[in-house]
Amino acid sequence: MTTALYLARRVLQALVVILIVTIVVFCLLHALPGGPARGVLGVSATPAQITAFNQAQGLDQPLPVQYLRFLGRLLTGDLGTSYTLNEPVSQLIAERLPKTLVLTGISAVVGLVIAIPVGMLQAARRNGAADYAATTLAFVFYATPAFFLGLVLIIVFSQQLPWLPSQAPGGNTLAEVFQQPAGLVLPVATGALAMIAVFSRYMRAATLENLQEDYVRTARAGGSSTTTILRRHVFRNSLTPVVAMLGYYLPVLFGGALVTEQLFNYPGMGLLFWNAAQSSDYPTLLGCVLVISIATVVGTLLADVAQSLIDPRVKAGRA
Amino acid sequence: MTKPRRWALITGAALAVSALLAGCSGGGSATTSTKSDAINYALPANFTPNWILPIGTASHLNTNNGSISHSLYEQLVSYDGSTGKIAWNKKGSVATDAAFASDGKSVTITLGDRHWSDGKPITSRDVEFWFNLIKANEKDWGSYSEGKAPDNWTSFTATDDTHFTITFDKAYNADWMLANQLSYIIPLPQHAWDKTSASAEVSDADRTTDGAKQVWKYLNTAAGKIADYDSDPLWKTISGPYGVTSFTTAGKVQLTANTKYDGGEKPSITTVNLLPFTTTDAETNAVRSGAVDYGYINATDLDQKDSFTNKGYEVEPWTGWAITYMPYNFNNPTMGAVFEQLYARQAVQMSIDQKTLSKVVFNGTATSTYGPIPQAQESDYVSDVQKSNPYPFSTAKAKALLTSHGWTAKGGTMVCTDAGSGADQCGEGVAAGTKFTMQVLSQSGSSVTDNMMSAIQSSLAKTGIGFTIKTAPVSSVLSQTPTCTSDEDSCGWDLSFFGTAGSWYFPAYPTGESLFSTGGSANFGSYSNKQVDSLISATTTSTDPSAVQDYSAAVAKDLPVIWLPSPDYQVSVVKQGLSGFEQDSLANFHPAQWTWSK
Repeated sequence: MTTALYLARRVLQALVVILIVTIVVFCLLHALPGGPARGVLGVSATPAQITAFNQAQGLDQPLPVQYLRFLGRLLTGDLGTSYTLNEPVSQLIAERLPKTLVLTGISAVVGLVIAIPVGMLQAARRNGAADYAATTLAFVFYATPAFFLGLVLIIVFSQQLPWLPSQAPGGNTLAEVFQQPAGLVLPVATGALAMIAVFSRYMRAATLENLQEDYVRTARAGGSSTTTILRRHVFRNSLTPVVAMLGYYLPVLFGGALVTEQLFNYPGMGLLFWNAAQSSDYPTLLGCVLVISIATVVGTLLADVAQSLIDPRVKAGRA
Repeated sequence: MTKPRRWALITGAALAVSALLAGCSGGGSATTSTKSDAINYALPANFTPNWILPIGTASHLNTNNGSISHSLYEQLVSYDGSTGKIAWNKKGSVATDAAFASDGKSVTITLGDRHWSDGKPITSRDVEFWFNLIKANEKDWGSYSEGKAPDNWTSFTATDDTHFTITFDKAYNADWMLANQLSYIIPLPQHAWDKTSASAEVSDADRTTDGAKQVWKYLNTAAGKIADYDSDPLWKTISGPYGVTSFTTAGKVQLTANTKYDGGEKPSITTVNLLPFTTTDAETNAVRSGAVDYGYINATDLDQKDSFTNKGYEVEPWTGWAITYMPYNFNNPTMGAVFEQLYARQAVQMSIDQKTLSKVVFNGTATSTYGPIPQAQESDYVSDVQKSNPYPFSTAKAKALLTSHGWTAKGGTMVCTDAGSGADQCGEGVAAGTKFTMQVLSQSGSSVTDNMMSAIQSSLAKTGIGFTIKTAPVSSVLSQTPTCTSDEDSCGWDLSFFGTAGSWYFPAYPTGESLFSTGGSANFGSYSNKQVDSLISATTTSTDPSAVQDYSAAVAKDLPVIWLPSPDYQVSVVKQGLSGFEQDSLANFHPAQWTWSK
């Protein structure tokens, strides 16, 4: 099977998965008793206002009709209008998604840039002082909930030592976000520390496994130094499981973003999703589910592709 | 274990523990970064401002949007708590006088000598413009309630540019009409807004129903474009003390003093930054780091009050013009008949220790409330009956009340053992063997609410009443506890609680037509009492000022709901030096009243 055919098959699978996810979420939402009107309009809404709301939102139509209308609008890029924020959902996502991607992206890059060499170093100096120190810290950060870790960072670096702001950058555009880089330090650190803890462990395990392989013994016999072996041979082979995990880690990153966004007053996708769920804002919920589904599917797809690039043995049909 | 291993472990652990200890040790120095020409005000957590047009649908017209809108467009009659008591704040109103006819069927309003920011005078025509738009679009208007304004206003007659008369369909209580109806009116700039599209010429389009509908649609569509608030010329013609200079869809709003403002509340602070926050915790962090001048903290943070005063804040609870309660579902097929019995409701109410709940669970930031009128503020509306708590806490008396009406404790729970409608029996419709157990669907997400429900569960258990707690987000609570009839599937709920921040915020005149009249729109439990209905009607139509007290006494005694402590609207933290204002019990904020002392 050619790479193009493999990719086409995976994209088709992804579309089917996304469609199924929207059907399931749509049905679950509408299975909730009472509907969203009272929750959106509040305790003082009159029956006439509730009826008007249901008519305006098409909630008085049969469920299949509502779903087909949703799909029809989706094909034109219209995700509807948020019940509570009074804005098109597509616009809300366009504003919030880049902010979340920046936060999670920088956290992931910082996390990986530190986790990979740390993991390799631990493996190379297995059972040494550095290995134990890094392991201890990894366990601490792994076991510490993100909200607590973030809170500690705020108290230490924003209140005790007022070096950094307790709030992530405000503003709607990425330009505005990057104008206040100091505001990104604590939220990025909160996300990155947990990531370092997880991925340094994966990298350590993968490196240790590779160090036992015959090709390493052969390289040693050929006179290669440990550094050369790690850099030229083990590094690339050890990356395979890490890259695979990274794809599946995307939903976790989104989950972590919710905590970070809440704590650092950074309204991104995680918070948009959470608030929509709390307020029965169906269009926003569906829009967020759609984006997260796409992100997860694309993430796993990219991980597969990256794996096949790193390790030529991982090919379509043989993977 | 080898030495290097032990050393590494100890070092790692020490690093982690020291970081945590440093984080948990509190303290820090005060931040004094106040500027006399600017203020940072924290909006409620998870609230994003999204509307400035003073008219709109129900989903747009919330309290905080209203506060921003009223800073731009001054109300005809500002009836609120900003002067320290619920009253007409004439300084913040366009009208200077309201003369009611002796028969109570009309009112003649006098406008002050006021001007729009573009120099044009504010006239009766601007009020007529609002009146016509609302009349033609009443079903779409967020404040509409059938039979009330504008249904009860039969005509608008302008005498001249500063005088006009509104005629009613019958006689009304003047206080109610002024506080709850005429206060809706906001003069709108007819000379700038009376057009059907952005490119159309200004005309008298509002004077026909079709034209008024088109103008409404045009204005509401324009108001939906939040990103244009600071640039669209439409929003530049204002009458209030502030104008919008920045309004982001992320929720950050910057208001700047209107230099052309000629009303009674001249702003002293030039720039007002309204800051959105994702959560109360995020806001509290901002307060601790000094980034907020006027914000709030959780009631549970009052334990650390000193840490805020040390940072230069005054901690000032902000009481709300609200009541908090749990409605009974009188149509519940199983428990409805029990709830119908006044003695049973009395037993429940006597099992709730509001004073202790207010002190212990709410940390002193709630007020015991024994009836339908808010009690956190002094007012002439509360009856002596309500004030004196007709059903004081006593689980022993509550238990005795049940046992004297045919209930017997079995396994810790009261069971009806003497069914019948006699004076010492369980009451009409209550079957023998019925257990006195109730389930509440309670608002989730608040530890204070969770603790209150647990405390109520404990005290009800002492009376022998079973009480189970189920939680859901407030929107789900409201959706799942609708008004219903006993044959509907949705009628299985017993009790509902949606009052973590207060169940019901009243307009200035606290009548109960929505809450406790038969068929009232927010009478979720289907409570019905003809005497109460007529008393509620009297509060709006009688010229007798004691009508509202009669209503207060009757409802306090009849217990249509379980009365609970009313939490403060918020526990404010205000930078020292910020003064000149009272916290409005109606939950509005008034930036024009804020002043930095020199």
